[in-house]
Amino acid sequence: MKDRISIVVMVDAVGALSDRTLHNGNLSLVDDSSAGSKHQGTPDLVTAVVPGQVVQWTPIHVDVQTPVEIQAIEFLSGAPVPLPADQAAPPAPVEPSAVPAPGAVPWTGVDATDSNGHENLDLLVWEGVVPYDMTPGVPYRYRLSLKLHEGPNSVLHIDSPALLRV
Amino acid sequence: MPPKNRQSERRPTRPVTITAVVDPVAALASENLDDNLYLYDTNRAAGSTGFGTPALHSRVRKGDTLLWNVIPLECETYVALTDIEIDPRIAEPTRKVYPGTDIAFWTAEVKQDLTEPVPYRLSFLLGTVSTPFTPTARPALAGPAAEGKEGR
Amino acid sequence: MAQQHGIIVLFDVENALRTRSLDGNTYWFDNMKFLGSAGVGTENLVTIVPGTYFLDGSQATEQVLNWLPAALGSIPPTVPRNYLAEQERADDRRTLEELAALSGESGVSTTDLKRLQRRIGKHARKPGGGRGLTEAKLLDVTGKTTSSAGAYNYPAPVITDITGPAVTEKIIYPAQYGSPDMIYDGWYWAATVDTSRPGVYPYTVHVQLHELVERNDELIWESVDLACESSLKIISDPKRNGFTGAGLGVLPLPPVPAAG
Repeated sequence: MKDRISIVVMVDAVGALSDRTLHNGNLSLVDDSSAGSKHQGTPDLVTAVVPGQVVQWTPIHVDVQTPVEIQAIEFLSGAPVPLPADQAAPPAPVEPSAVPAPGAVPWTGVDATDSNGHENLDLLVWEGVVPYDMTPGVPYRYRLSLKLHEGPNSVLHIDSPALLRV
Repeated sequence: MPPKNRQSERRPTRPVTITAVVDPVAALASENLDDNLYLYDTNRAAGSTGFGTPALHSRVRKGDTLLWNVIPLECETYVALTDIEIDPRIAEPTRKVYPGTDIAFWTAEVKQDLTEPVPYRLSFLLGTVSTPFTPTARPALAGPAAEGKEGR
Repeated sequence: MAQQHGIIVLFDVENALRTRSLDGNTYWFDNMKFLGSAGVGTENLVTIVPGTYFLDGSQATEQVLNWLPAALGSIPPTVPRNYLAEQERADDRRTLEELAALSGESGVSTTDLKRLQRRIGKHARKPGGGRGLTEAKLLDVTGKTTSSAGAYNYPAPVITDITGPAVTEKIIYPAQYGSPDMIYDGWYWAATVDTSRPGVYPYTVHVQLHELVERNDELIWESVDLACESSLKIISDPKRNGFTGAGLGVLPLPPVPAAG
């Protein structure tokens, strides 16, 4: 089994900003897990993982001159308050995720201010170790929030990808 | 014998070109075209002002040919000038394309000398959004004597 | 991941040729205003280069700069660079077709010939032994053939070198590269950046403009070498983990995952 799994987040930034959604083919997730991931190349990627592995997310833009960064990765919780049915399977989200994901693990947000006083999400490395207490066979969905350039329309998210312990 | 530059002897027949430099990704993300639109023209020596802002004032004379075109900051991102609205008594811009391409420019002839600045409105298409973007600030055409001699 | 920085320099070629100087005749842009570039759209651009390093001190993100010159009042750079040659050829083909059609008729009128002569346009030559553009037909700023020396489309300025403190202090390593890009095809200047030494570093861009002059009743392209300045502001910050704010940790999974 691999020590590391890489999840590549590929974004058509101009398409996503124009459509105001990461759906419509504007986002594609691919991993290099050899343990049986599902839905490669889609926003619904389920990455097969085993405890102890390091998972790393890396954004890549289709257009080399357009900035695409990961703003947040928040795992969605089923407890203590169960999600309302309409939020359990949300439609294509079009609103910026200025508010935390519903039921997400509390996350304060890491400071990404650079020495010039600007927020620079390129400073963040998105990686973590798969914990041993992860329940096998159950997908852990997460909200992936991306920031494309800057401004009120710049943050878009999806709630569909997941990690699955095999 | 040094070569003679013929340009200075003839009245230039090149149009007065007004170029819009647009940062389409920044405009889409911020929904603000004003901060991401930079206008320039080729008539600075004649006293045009407001270079690098969306409120360029171009000095023009009756009979001048005007040409508007666009340079996107991200060369792979679609930006097009879709409309120019101006008093038709002053100019009637028409859309053309560079022969053999689908890249558009607009041209017009200045119909009369201007005594005061005539603002006009530019509209752009950005990315794949079907609704045109229009800056709040207005560029203008100005006559030779409409304003005092100004720098940038 | 950081994007590549495109630095676009827009030249007021007509004014630059008249004054034989680039002072006040360049407008600089990059796509990093949101990260702190200053003076975008003016002559005084300071391009931010936000470097990053890992906790062991090694450089993390590689920063790449590209310089793209454009001429104000010319056919814009979105029109493919081989466009001028293509237009010439298309024009010649039409002329040949019309010539063939003429000879098939009973007579050739002077008006027809005059019209075709206009179509053929004027050619400009490069001066013997000098550097310049290849011999080419004159096109105006709308892509049509022209015979007027006052209407020709200024060729895009050509960057010939990048020098100055940013280079001598080994902050940037500029070089000219070939590009398969359909839009900015041909050669372009690019540089990688050593972001380990923060500071403001000026640099000089050397460009060649081209001007048509008449000599011995011939139109000739002459090159005019000029230079302009800009600067880079290098900063450098440590990478940190997006989940923990520090080093590697366990993924923050909830006790019970959301249904679905």
